[in-house]
Amino acid sequence: MSRIIIDGLSFALPLFIMAIGGIYSERSGVTNLAIEGLQGFGAFVGALFVVLTSGTQGTDSQVIFYFAFLFAMIGGMVYSLLHALLCVKFKANQVISGVVINILAMALTAFLTKQVNKSVFNQPSDKFQLGVSSRFTVPVLSDIPVVGAVFTNVYPFEVIIIVVAVIAWFVLYRSRYGLHLRACGDNPHAVDAAGRNVGKIRTVAIMVSGALSGIGGMCFAYSISAQFSESIYVGYGYLAIAAMIFGNWKILPTLGACLLFGFARSAGYQIVQVLEKPSSYSDLVMTLPYILTLLLLIFFSKYNRAPKALGEIYDKGKR
Amino acid sequence: MKKICVKLLGNDRTQFIAIPIFSILLSLIVGMIIIAGLGKYPLTAYMNLLQGSGLMPKPAYSAYQGMLTDFMSFLNMLTPMMFAALSVAVAQKAGLFNIGVSGQMLAAGFVATVTVGYSEMTAVIAKPLVILIGIVVGMLVGALVGFLKYRFNINEVVSTIMINYIVQYLTSFFINTRYIDEISRQSRAVSRASRLTLMQVTVGELKVDIPLCIILAVIIAVLMKFLLDRTSLGFEIKAVGSNRNAARYAGISVGKTMVVSMMISGALAGLAGVTYYMGYLESIQPKVLTDTGFDAIAVALLGNNNPIGVIFSSFLITGVTKGSSYMSAASGIETEIASVITGLILLFSACSAFIRYEVKKWKTELEEAERRNADVKNNH
Repeated sequence: MSRIIIDGLSFALPLFIMAIGGIYSERSGVTNLAIEGLQGFGAFVGALFVVLTSGTQGTDSQVIFYFAFLFAMIGGMVYSLLHALLCVKFKANQVISGVVINILAMALTAFLTKQVNKSVFNQPSDKFQLGVSSRFTVPVLSDIPVVGAVFTNVYPFEVIIIVVAVIAWFVLYRSRYGLHLRACGDNPHAVDAAGRNVGKIRTVAIMVSGALSGIGGMCFAYSISAQFSESIYVGYGYLAIAAMIFGNWKILPTLGACLLFGFARSAGYQIVQVLEKPSSYSDLVMTLPYILTLLLLIFFSKYNRAPKALGEIYDKGKR
Repeated sequence: MKKICVKLLGNDRTQFIAIPIFSILLSLIVGMIIIAGLGKYPLTAYMNLLQGSGLMPKPAYSAYQGMLTDFMSFLNMLTPMMFAALSVAVAQKAGLFNIGVSGQMLAAGFVATVTVGYSEMTAVIAKPLVILIGIVVGMLVGALVGFLKYRFNINEVVSTIMINYIVQYLTSFFINTRYIDEISRQSRAVSRASRLTLMQVTVGELKVDIPLCIILAVIIAVLMKFLLDRTSLGFEIKAVGSNRNAARYAGISVGKTMVVSMMISGALAGLAGVTYYMGYLESIQPKVLTDTGFDAIAVALLGNNNPIGVIFSSFLITGVTKGSSYMSAASGIETEIASVITGLILLFSACSAFIRYEVKKWKTELEEAERRNADVKNNH
């Protein structure tokens, strides 16, 4: 039971932080399919920082660990400016822009990884070895039955995510900027009439989305994959988008969706182990989270409502 | 400078073709700068791309190889991409975003593989049956997505992503437990009779792969164009796509139209699946979704969701992809650069609305300046 919670949380939380990024972007009215590329690019920049400062063997240094996340955030944010440029300034179709960002991220990071390995480390390799992040257990709290598992074997990044998520929630629902952002997604003309710059608000929202996606990507690079390589592009970003829509573009329901994905996934693995079935059966139980989601959506989708101006290019002169 | 731009791009009648070509040229120029930055010859690299796709002769060929060999294997790669992009385009016309083409492809390819691919049927029966199964399976998946959207208001982006994962893991389970080839770690190869590509056929002195469905792909693209532009169903699809409420007000059954267009989209994805897994390839790698379905989104948008445009855009993008391995071998440029060029082409095409807007602005500016000049002359 405790394993289910531990593994479930370490999968759900990175997904959650990427989904929050998605919420920021889409609530401001910009469709964001680029999360997949943003998380990969962010993870690339973070991993690049790690290997450049500490070599290819991986390191235990905590300082480097936290800086890696900082750089992943910056990387995701800078790369997301491309999405902002296309969607806000060049009035491009937001779907095509998202897909382009993904294709370019995959190609660029694969190419640069090879180049850096060749020129800096003199070895032909298409990945950066990172190792798995160390974990910690909160002393007293972890002794509580069942709930204690939440405080056992925690990755440090899970704490980062929770802190960032709380801030993100506060900004989105309790700050002036958050109000403007949400208004941009439903009625940008009203925001414009109130004297605010729609383009600027949307650009910042996309940048937040990039930074948060970078954190998410770095988490996966530091946990599941233990390296940066093309294996980071297995659809985490798309899953985060699904969680966001499932969560009706609201932060707390989205957390629920992410936890559902995470727990159903880890429970599935656990069931296979308990039943002592061959590992190929894990594929079968891995369908459970997604089938469950579809079933749940049947009941919850009635109230599903996308931001009104989502995907629309803002045109000042339009009525 | 402005004058030239306006003259070339400002004509309303030729704009639909002039602006895409302009953005493609622009992206190729940026690509050249990147290649030059890597210290290679850009023009040689582009020539290599064309040579790799069999559109230009290579300097030397090994035995049984020729330009035709390369071109046919390019067509072999093009076939699934064209179907997949058509699938995205049709759904897009109805305002639906089919991000699950890869999953629908896998479902169709898998069912066709295990039913016909592993049977003893002769080619005459097997090949049409494979195509039929592809269409039916894809259509069923599409119908499910459409039904969920229509009946329960489930966003098609979520349901197709979920179905992607379900298909991916389910097929992986069956392949690993029943159909695995222990050496390749993929599903066992399908029978020659069922494959939609004739492999290594001797034509004259060459051995070439003949993708049988490329003609079908072009025919279907034309059919789709006809369907969308000349039939009432096509009109309904487009009406639903541009404004759902107006369509409902006009008496169009929105739900039915969405289900039907999703079924067509799914059927096309199914065709992409069988031509990919039983034509271009002969086996399925478990737990892997192909990139084709995702790239197809970009290809469809590059072709402006127009079935005829899709023929050209998939030709262009597949050409760059196909030629990349030869470019890498001949000029020593990493294959990823080809994907970067693809990305650039899509990037600049995405800006076409902006280019059109700027050109229009310049045009009015120039016209006003001319009028002012004329006024000044008249006054004198």
